[in-house]
Amino acid sequence: MLRLVGKRLVPQTQVQTLGTPTLRLRRRYHERVVDHYNNPRNVGSFDKEDPTVGTGLVGAPACGDVMKLQIKVDQHSGKIVDACFKTFGCGSAIASSSVATEWVKGKHMEEVLSIKNTEIAKHLSLPPVKLHCSMLAEDAIKAAVKDYESKKAKNGSSDASSPKVAEA
Amino acid sequence: MWNRRKHLLLSSLSLLRHISSTPLLRLHPLKPSPLLSPSNSFLPPIDSQLRNNLLDLPRCGFPRNLSSSNSCSSCWNCGAVGPTSGAFLACGSCGAVQPVDSSVDYFQIFGMKKMYEIEEGDLEGIYKDWQKKLHPDLVHSKSEKEKGFAAEQSARVIDAYRTLKNPLSRALYLLKLEQIHVDEEKTVSDPDLLMEMMEMREAVEEAKDTQSLYEIQSKVKKKLDSWSNSFKEALNKQDFDSAVNCTQRMKYYERALEEITKKL
Repeated sequence: MLRLVGKRLVPQTQVQTLGTPTLRLRRRYHERVVDHYNNPRNVGSFDKEDPTVGTGLVGAPACGDVMKLQIKVDQHSGKIVDACFKTFGCGSAIASSSVATEWVKGKHMEEVLSIKNTEIAKHLSLPPVKLHCSMLAEDAIKAAVKDYESKKAKNGSSDASSPKVAEA
Repeated sequence: MWNRRKHLLLSSLSLLRHISSTPLLRLHPLKPSPLLSPSNSFLPPIDSQLRNNLLDLPRCGFPRNLSSSNSCSSCWNCGAVGPTSGAFLACGSCGAVQPVDSSVDYFQIFGMKKMYEIEEGDLEGIYKDWQKKLHPDLVHSKSEKEKGFAAEQSARVIDAYRTLKNPLSRALYLLKLEQIHVDEEKTVSDPDLLMEMMEMREAVEEAKDTQSLYEIQSKVKKKLDSWSNSFKEALNKQDFDSAVNCTQRMKYYERALEEITKKL
């Protein structure tokens, strides 16, 4: 009896998989998310005090996530030469920040400001419930750029004052 | 014979009153005759327009946000009037499980005042008492309708128990009852708060032994308690912005505690 039931079941599942090869029966993380989670790129920290480094620190209070994204900028060209991140959160948040560090490298600061969370979400096939993770990554990029600019402005003003002192 | 008809008429009238709060129960409002023949089978479904009309029917004349909503609740099975205070989830006379009334909040289900400080120890006892009356396993010999009510009521009591037991979820539930909507999508960039959380999570990750983990755990618990008190004060003053801020911090501390528990 059991064997009969078993035999009946097997062809059914076979038909299901043959007929719908792309059907995901359970909701899983997309393979890109899993890849970024298992092989994260650019995890680490730069020296916060370094004038060429911009640090973006953002959080999502609803889920208790924290994301730190840092960029190293070439002061002459304004290009981002290196980036790193540190994220405490779910797989989607980690993957989003990892993708963000990959995408900002080699780009100008104005360019990276146009990176949208929807692009990150699409790249990782994030479900609607995880869209805020990609938003967090977009905000982290913007915060890092803003931090660098404000540092530059501060250093710029202090440099401007010192020649006057020298002249005097 | 006449007494029986009168009794059936009364129960049918009370049944009509429950229609708006019972999505499971489908009934044609203009044909009372099916009600007079007592049967436990499904009643014929009604179309959406009629259903909307039903929802517009006056409901015993009391507003939805009144704390004790039982002034005209009566049992669909025997017609007995429900209690004047406390949630009417199961009939005291015949034991029949009642349909879910979503205007009854979680605090009412547990017979507690709507405030942040509650007797957490009492929750389990009351929860078990309710499940003795409402659990679906206890109604497997009853009608489909009552089984449906039991499944929903039992699930609601479980939700209520879990929400009230955990301080943070209780806090968020209280804010929800006050109609304070917290924007879940919003990111925060308060540098002090985030630096503190970042350092805390890093410390947890880098902790080498259980001793240091326990030390971090006790520090975090103290902070959680302190912010929990701040929430209580903010709520009492009706300072909802501060209250939301407190819950955000509490969430971060709870996450840190979860990570510590995982590591231990």
